[in-house]
Amino acid sequence: MFYQRRFIRKFFAAGLLSAAAAVMAQSLLPDRWWAPGEDRVFPAALNYDNTDGTLQTLLAGGPMSTKGHAFFEPLGANGRACVTCHQPADAMSLSAVTAQERWQATNGKDPLFAAYDGSNCPNLPQSERASHSLLLEYGLIRVQRSWPPRDWYGEHVKPDFNLEVVRDPTGCNTGKQYGLKAGSPSISVYRRPRPVANLKYLVAMGFAYDPKQGMPLALDPETGQPVSGNFMADGRVPTLRAQMADAAATHLEMFNQLSEAQRVQIENFILRLYSAQLRSKQGVALDAWGAKGGPQTLMESSPGQLGSIGVPVWGKEFAAWDNPSAEDKARLSSSELAFVQSVARGAKVFRDRNFLITDSAGINSPMGFGNPVRYSCVFCHNMAQMGNDVAPGQVDLGTTTLPFADPAPHLPLFRITCLAAPHPHYGRVIYSSDPGYALTTGRCADAGKITLQSLRGLSARAPYFSNGSAKTLREVVDYYERRYSIGYTEQEKQDLVNLMSAL
Amino acid sequence: MKISLKFPAALLCSLIPLLAHADEIRFTSCPIYRDTDAGRKSGCWLTDDHSSGTRYDVSKAPTKPDWNYPVLVEGNVAATQDQACGGITLDPVRVSVLEGSCPRHLLPAESYPGRVFVLPKRNVQPTSQVRTPPPPPYSNSTFSLFFDFNSSFIVYQYDDYLLDQAITWIRAAQPRRIVVTGYADTGVQTVSGQKIAERAELAQLRAEKIQQALIRLGIDQRIIKTSWSTRPEASVAEGADGLNWPSRRRVDISAEL
Repeated sequence: MFYQRRFIRKFFAAGLLSAAAAVMAQSLLPDRWWAPGEDRVFPAALNYDNTDGTLQTLLAGGPMSTKGHAFFEPLGANGRACVTCHQPADAMSLSAVTAQERWQATNGKDPLFAAYDGSNCPNLPQSERASHSLLLEYGLIRVQRSWPPRDWYGEHVKPDFNLEVVRDPTGCNTGKQYGLKAGSPSISVYRRPRPVANLKYLVAMGFAYDPKQGMPLALDPETGQPVSGNFMADGRVPTLRAQMADAAATHLEMFNQLSEAQRVQIENFILRLYSAQLRSKQGVALDAWGAKGGPQTLMESSPGQLGSIGVPVWGKEFAAWDNPSAEDKARLSSSELAFVQSVARGAKVFRDRNFLITDSAGINSPMGFGNPVRYSCVFCHNMAQMGNDVAPGQVDLGTTTLPFADPAPHLPLFRITCLAAPHPHYGRVIYSSDPGYALTTGRCADAGKITLQSLRGLSARAPYFSNGSAKTLREVVDYYERRYSIGYTEQEKQDLVNLMSAL
Repeated sequence: MKISLKFPAALLCSLIPLLAHADEIRFTSCPIYRDTDAGRKSGCWLTDDHSSGTRYDVSKAPTKPDWNYPVLVEGNVAATQDQACGGITLDPVRVSVLEGSCPRHLLPAESYPGRVFVLPKRNVQPTSQVRTPPPPPYSNSTFSLFFDFNSSFIVYQYDDYLLDQAITWIRAAQPRRIVVTGYADTGVQTVSGQKIAERAELAQLRAEKIQQALIRLGIDQRIIKTSWSTRPEASVAEGADGLNWPSRRRVDISAEL
């Protein structure tokens, strides 16, 4: 509703005739917030405005009633459904702005703010806004991992590092109920919900080998089949089905497991979802004039294609905008033309602007690319159409780990002491607010590695990075600039921001 | 780009015909990164052999150096020298990252162009690419994978290719038994004045790693037997590229029909 009101104010204040039609179209949109248990129809194409334009989510196969559907029903004790944290207006993720709106609309009573993981720690006073500050300010959900870790078979893993709590601003890592010294030792980290759209790209296996682990792809314990290794920030589950089970037990607080019918229903639904930005804020259709932005191309394309040996990442989507025809130029306003040209330049910067990548596990070690290695953003964001990693994408960009991470006094800080070989880049002792993949493998060499994400629908789901440390797309670019001393010009930075806003 | 050879490089060029016929070159050193820019992955890796004072270009190794760590270099002088990086090119060449520490050293490109990246000849095809197995009849066969010094890591765009070749054959030939034998080169050798030897447990680790890899690739673990040895002989199998020392650090996958 907030967006609709702002939209109306903006356009009528400008006195634009076209605004009336736009407002009429907008008023036909369904409510932004999809609450659990509603009886609604999820349409074949669902549009929502955001600050950078309009996002569209497509449901392949046509509209679907949500009544009684396992994705939309509150199945657990806390009244949440899957849709609570995977909202269509937020590209099937959840933005911090949406969390704030829900707090305001419900005075903090929405199931989104469930004590278990919608607050900084379950034992904090739940009626106080401060107890939910990480969700409200950074869009973070608490993720509680058992310590020592358990593997995909549920067996304890003997870690090759010690874990200690250095800082515990939420109280959830040093208390009697929650933390390393609790009866059932655990560690709490705080992460952004990942989008449940465009999933055929995340399950795709472009190659049979995981170069980062130096092994063929891991096998799903349930089926014995290889898996893509691209789920969850810490790779703690191998498949969508395992992710559903994990989410049901934790985020939904279900006492029982999902039934087979519920699993199938959810899986069938989310594998049909394609979400991407459709229109820019200048009104440019991202699939106009030969461009292939928007969710339609995503829906129609084959997943798992490595951009460097096939269609370059963002090459197909925006190549037509490299040199717009004189006719197209004449049809565009100056702001539209500037945007189109900026996105095309941004795609080139993303693909071709090489820089020295240093001291990043999963890139510079252990697979032999060298440290440093010269490459661009597409070294890791290499899957055509999607921008995630074709290989299992566990990489340490330093977003959660010192000295590269930005100061984050609101997050816990852990000291990792490697017991066997030291970490190839950090040495024996590592400080991290989220050890990431190491919480699954128990290996200090994996500390700070976070599975790469999809790059689609970004405008709908700020803030960014797994810990929400970048509030805007510009802050994402600025982080990379700091981390790798790239030397982007101001123009290149703006072009990258415009590109990402168009994905 | 026009290349102007500096004096030392020109001098070294005159030595190349002699070096090309010399024994396998083997030394340890700290790596130097030359920041050439001919596109992605085009930076150069150089290392100095202190015993001869010669600077070598090791950029063609499957494993590239880490500028924080010393490396073991093993290779032959390439028959063709392109002077892309400013050192005598070794090819074939292997680089192993060693324990220890090195000061980071970055050289500017100066007048050297680096090399435009091309996919190495040993790169694994995507899963979408249909593998063509060798036609029958099949007979007992052995495939080998080679490792960096003191490592059991399956090297990208090298070992994974060799493993892919092996599994393609195995899937077609359907052997009744597979023996995976890991080797570690535990004999003490003096290289660049330092005594080096592989850890004995690596032989078992390598065998078990490849056993696990075969299982992940769909081979019934009941037909796989593992063994290991710390007394390796040199190998001339595909992938060894005629290099003596690296060929001892390997796993043999012997398929019996």
